[in-house]
Amino acid sequence: MKERLLIANRGEIALRIMEACEELGLDYVAVYTKEDEESLHVRLAKKKVRISDYRDINDLLAVADENKCSLIHPGYGFLSEDYRFARRVEKRERPLIFVGPSWEAIRDLGNKIYLKKLASQLKIPVIPGTTEPIYNEIEAEFKAEELLELLKEEGFEYRSLFIKAAAGGGGMGIEEVKNLEEVRPVFRKIRAYAKRLFGDEGVLIEAKIPVIQHVEVQILGSKKGEYVHFGTRNCTIQSPFKQKRIEIAPGFDFNKNFSLNLQKIESEIIKYSLRLAKNFGYYSLGTWEWLVTPEGKYYLMEVNTRVQVENEISGKISFINNNSVNLIKEQIKVALGERLEYTQEEILFKGTSIELRLIAEDVSQGFQPLSGTITHFKWKPESWLTIRTHVPQDKPYNIPTQFDPNLALAIIYGENFELAKRRAQEFLENLIIEGVTSKGEKLKTNKEYLKEKLEIIYQFLPS
Amino acid sequence: MKIELHKKLTHLMETAIYIRDIKGEDFCDIQTLIEKLLEVHQNFYSYSVEELKSFIESTNQKIEFLLQKAEETLTPYEIVKIVRHPQRITLQDILENVYDNYMELGGDKEINLDPAIVCAKAMLIRKVDNELYFHQVMVIGHEKGHGEEYRQGGSAKPWGNEKALRYMKMAETEGIPIHFFIFTPGAYPIEDYPGAAQQIAKNLYYMAGLKVPTISFISEGGSGGAEAIGLTDFRLMAEKGYYSVISPEGAAAIEANLKEGRPPRELVEKCANFLKLTSYDNLKLGTIDRIVPEPPLGARKKDFDFFRRLKVELIKATDEIVLQTKSLKMFRKYVLSKQDSENFKFYVDWDLTEDEREILLENRIKKYRKISKWAVYEPKSIMKSFMEVGHNLSLKVKNEIKYKILKQGQKSFKKFLSELSSESSVILKPVSDPVKTVYNLIVGKKLKPRIGSQYIPEETTPYESPLALEDKTVSCPQGEKYGCPDLWVPDLYGEFCGVCPNCNYHFPLEYTWYLNNIFDKGSIRTFNDEISSTDPLNFAGYSEKLREAKENTGVNSALLSFEAKIGGISLIAVMLIGDFRQGTVGVAEGEKFIRAIEIAKITRRPFLALVHSTGGIRIHEGTLGVIQMPRCTIAVRDYVEAGGLYIVVYDNNSYAGPVASFLGSAPYQFALRSTRLGFAGPRVIRETTGQDVPPDYHSAENALKRGHIQGIWDRRELRKKIFTALLTMGGQNLYYR
Amino acid sequence: MEINFNQLNEILKNLKAHPFKIYPVLTPHTGYLREFKVKEGDRVSGPSGKWLEKPGTPLFVLEREKNLKVIKAKIDGIVKNLKLDLLDKFVEAEEIVLEIQHPLSQEEVISEILLSTLYIIRAPETARYILSPSLLQRIEKQGLGKVKVKKGDELLIMSFMKREVPIYFEEEGSFIIYKLYFSPFEVVPAEKPLIGLCPEKDLPYLEKIIKRIKEEWS
Repeated sequence: MKERLLIANRGEIALRIMEACEELGLDYVAVYTKEDEESLHVRLAKKKVRISDYRDINDLLAVADENKCSLIHPGYGFLSEDYRFARRVEKRERPLIFVGPSWEAIRDLGNKIYLKKLASQLKIPVIPGTTEPIYNEIEAEFKAEELLELLKEEGFEYRSLFIKAAAGGGGMGIEEVKNLEEVRPVFRKIRAYAKRLFGDEGVLIEAKIPVIQHVEVQILGSKKGEYVHFGTRNCTIQSPFKQKRIEIAPGFDFNKNFSLNLQKIESEIIKYSLRLAKNFGYYSLGTWEWLVTPEGKYYLMEVNTRVQVENEISGKISFINNNSVNLIKEQIKVALGERLEYTQEEILFKGTSIELRLIAEDVSQGFQPLSGTITHFKWKPESWLTIRTHVPQDKPYNIPTQFDPNLALAIIYGENFELAKRRAQEFLENLIIEGVTSKGEKLKTNKEYLKEKLEIIYQFLPS
Repeated sequence: MKIELHKKLTHLMETAIYIRDIKGEDFCDIQTLIEKLLEVHQNFYSYSVEELKSFIESTNQKIEFLLQKAEETLTPYEIVKIVRHPQRITLQDILENVYDNYMELGGDKEINLDPAIVCAKAMLIRKVDNELYFHQVMVIGHEKGHGEEYRQGGSAKPWGNEKALRYMKMAETEGIPIHFFIFTPGAYPIEDYPGAAQQIAKNLYYMAGLKVPTISFISEGGSGGAEAIGLTDFRLMAEKGYYSVISPEGAAAIEANLKEGRPPRELVEKCANFLKLTSYDNLKLGTIDRIVPEPPLGARKKDFDFFRRLKVELIKATDEIVLQTKSLKMFRKYVLSKQDSENFKFYVDWDLTEDEREILLENRIKKYRKISKWAVYEPKSIMKSFMEVGHNLSLKVKNEIKYKILKQGQKSFKKFLSELSSESSVILKPVSDPVKTVYNLIVGKKLKPRIGSQYIPEETTPYESPLALEDKTVSCPQGEKYGCPDLWVPDLYGEFCGVCPNCNYHFPLEYTWYLNNIFDKGSIRTFNDEISSTDPLNFAGYSEKLREAKENTGVNSALLSFEAKIGGISLIAVMLIGDFRQGTVGVAEGEKFIRAIEIAKITRRPFLALVHSTGGIRIHEGTLGVIQMPRCTIAVRDYVEAGGLYIVVYDNNSYAGPVASFLGSAPYQFALRSTRLGFAGPRVIRETTGQDVPPDYHSAENALKRGHIQGIWDRRELRKKIFTALLTMGGQNLYYR
Repeated sequence: MEINFNQLNEILKNLKAHPFKIYPVLTPHTGYLREFKVKEGDRVSGPSGKWLEKPGTPLFVLEREKNLKVIKAKIDGIVKNLKLDLLDKFVEAEEIVLEIQHPLSQEEVISEILLSTLYIIRAPETARYILSPSLLQRIEKQGLGKVKVKKGDELLIMSFMKREVPIYFEEEGSFIIYKLYFSPFEVVPAEKPLIGLCPEKDLPYLEKIIKRIKEEWS
């Protein structure tokens, strides 16, 4: 019987999963909410069911059962990193295959404290700091002193620490301290804040790495214990809320004249990423995010236990038998229990790929997301250009207000970095994307921002 | 002459109507007699004196006969009707006819904080030979009035009971005995500050330690409302009074599982029989001390003989209580003198010295410790019980030595430690930790050095709730209000601890969840498991229900008592479990509670009461259940005064008697979110007060708002919260302090 | 504030011609429609009781993931257009199952007419709205028609583009919150009314209008 996959997501990623299913010869069922009726992922889906919310697990599973689905793909965002969802999919009376890692991996590797402990055990460098929540200010001060000393030894010019709530995240309950005298008052403040907001008083102290590049390793593991990587990506260009805007693969510009041995750094972060993946018994796609400093240090920051938005640029530069790779197809095949059909040596890396995220946002107003109607959306097709979008080009499109106003991903390929960058600029020059807000004003996008930032790819930036 | 006859006729007519009211229209053709009386009364002047005389003569004989017959065939439910009759004696009648002088305090009829409670300073004159002696007493009681509606039939509001408490304190200050008069169908079940239950608990707790002789007289003893002024050294009861855990109508409504409306009359009468609510029943059960005889069909407001008798009984009871504190020889002599007339043979001074007051309290504790003990069913050999007594004794001695002798040195050692801690240097940890360990070794504590930090290591709990083993979803009851998603049962009853992650609504959980998730793994040891709920009143159908409950739950009563540890701190705990007869309290539960808190006292351990759910006092054990309220509260006071730490945590539903006594008198009470907490449920409130209450009337938030509880906890943090409470609350007498 | 009685009469006339409003009842989520609890033409009622503690009339049963959920009426009226063919079928979210023909009450007529009289705050975007917590607390305590607001007070929180955006009152002078036109967490289309306010000094005029409507619509 033909396997059938439920696409538990919307927009661009839903379209990509659909495409992968069709290429793999799988049936699929798409879901959508009322607000999304105009989206291309609804228009193009052969089978679709309206649900109340993309986060409503019960609706998703009810639809999966009704349509006899055997797999479920969470995409990114929404439920993709909800280990309870993955666990329920697997443990229920009518189990489905979760296209992603094991639920334990989502739970454990998604937990920063656990990850830090495990990495330390495996001698993988992590950002210096505490691996247990601290509840006592004397201990905090002691730890802070230790850390500042360590940073000095490691040769950091600018030394400061982050004090943050152990239960926090996303920039909440975090404060920087530069010297020891500040530690106790800030600690007390954060502890009180943590207790009020998260109900847990635990506090972590971590070194602040002032200048960085954000480099990540794309890993794929099969359920049979085989592992490969698809190189690295550089995602240093981010909005102030740590939202990626431009990504580039590979993760380093090896021609750039740094006093660092970039090849060595890349091969080491790949080695360490694989070590952790193997040790944990991780399977499916996964991304290991690293911070690289101008001093040549690198620290494992987090593991993303899902397919990422920027997965396609890795696929574009990875060739097996002269064909570029579709990572989503690979992810589904692995989920079905298949073995990898290639070894690491058969994956050849060629060229450079850049991803631009086109978003309706007001960059000058703190990247405020915008809603409105897209009236014109046109670009010049090129052999080196792939556009991923759910926004229809044949009629006006209202941006729903419940979701991120992502409009499109532009994936550009060039045989080398300079070419790719030039093509990216060319694409942006020719791009027509126009719209109006609900108040009748011109809808802003981040197009100009992208143009500007393209010029500083591969540079170390303040964190 | 004719006026005299008219008076007699009127009296006969009133009596006849009274008989009918009590016995019903079908009693010995009473209705015909009444009609005849009415007819004569109406056409009084058309009859000759002779005719009237003979009519009155014959009717009087008939009525005497009827009274006699009515008395002989009196049923418990008819007694209830006597007590409720507007002609029944009231406290006002007693103040006027029993006491030689009185002054009402804090009220004048309707102009009153709570007209259902009357407080007065009163004087009693005792004649011994030709000498007159004056006694001052405080009189506190319910006033039903003869049909005055503003008295609410003697149902005290929380502030009425608070008024009573204030005058108790006054009497204590002045050192005079208190006479309590219980004429109440029950407390007025409203939750205004501080809540009906909470105020009764406060009264009970205070009465447990009142340092003056207290005597109570029960005419209408309606459960918790009665106990609010009923924990006394001597309990008198009117012969035609009733003292019951619940009104027969209330019991019938519960038995018939009625949500609304009136229960059938037949069932009400049956319940009146089963409840064993008469004075003779209560004397037999040992819940009262003596009966004050009444004329046939009960004392009414003009029965002066009764008032004279009551006065003698009140003085006698007070004398006996006073004498027991002074000299047993005198007491024996007094008892042997068979004092039963107004001519007293002795004068007894009701003032007590400091020492006598202590004895008074000791006697009170002993008295209540003994009540209902005969009904405790505990299958074990005499040898074992003897050994246990011995064990408790040696335990006591051991602990006394350990804590008292070491106490002085311990204090200075502690001071040194805290000074060291406040140095707050980095070297603190390595230095103080081994010291603490050595210190623990000396005083025999096995405390981990973790004490003092706020962190308990999270334990992975392999416990799986039986509720979680089903692949289905449920809706959160507050879903519509807060937009909560439907919850998958394995998540809800597993990781979420039965709490909706969106709105924090707490779903009920099985009691074993608490045992497995709150206490340190493997630290629970139950005791007194063999003490078993029985059926002391032979309440129809109850034995069967008990057997079912025991079979379904595998426990012998609704109260588990055990020792356990939380974060290394050893404590004694009890848990009322909702699965066993809705967590209601009877003899077995009360006895187990007292024994547990006594062990906590002897071993100087904290005492935790977890309330999985309690529906109140178990009606099937009648006043033997009600008496657990004062019994257990006395034990609570004894423990708390000895420096113990008593914490109560409520969950699910907690109502009525237990909340109004041994739970509600805890200095630290906490409720988990979604707990419903109070005195009476919405149905009872509607029936008693005629008012609907808002849906959140009994919510934990409202309990916190009116000051009943000290905080609202989240079940997911229960273990941590209790641990923190153990570290931060309680006096110096706890073993780990 | 001027009272335009002609306009008022016109509105009243129109409302009298169609004294009903149709409320569609939608499935809140997917599932199997297991049972209808009402028949075509049945009279149903919304939540009632002093504290709305008694739930509305059960309409139908929706089963999803072994959870049988009874969907209840949120408003009084007559059942119309019952989609009987949905019985035992799998239904999508937000599918119309029936309609409730709701007779307009005096209160609702007043609120309809006040729309043209009051100072109305309209939804700036299609989004979910809730009252600001402090305002909600005041309204719960004092009731509608009592709570005053002034320029700069936080009125609403709009849940928009995954952010919480506060909406402030921007008019000079003292206003009274008179009417709420939305329910919390519900998606309100842009331009739909959210709150109706009345300048404090115009309160007597407003009461006159209401009195007039009450006379006309009893």
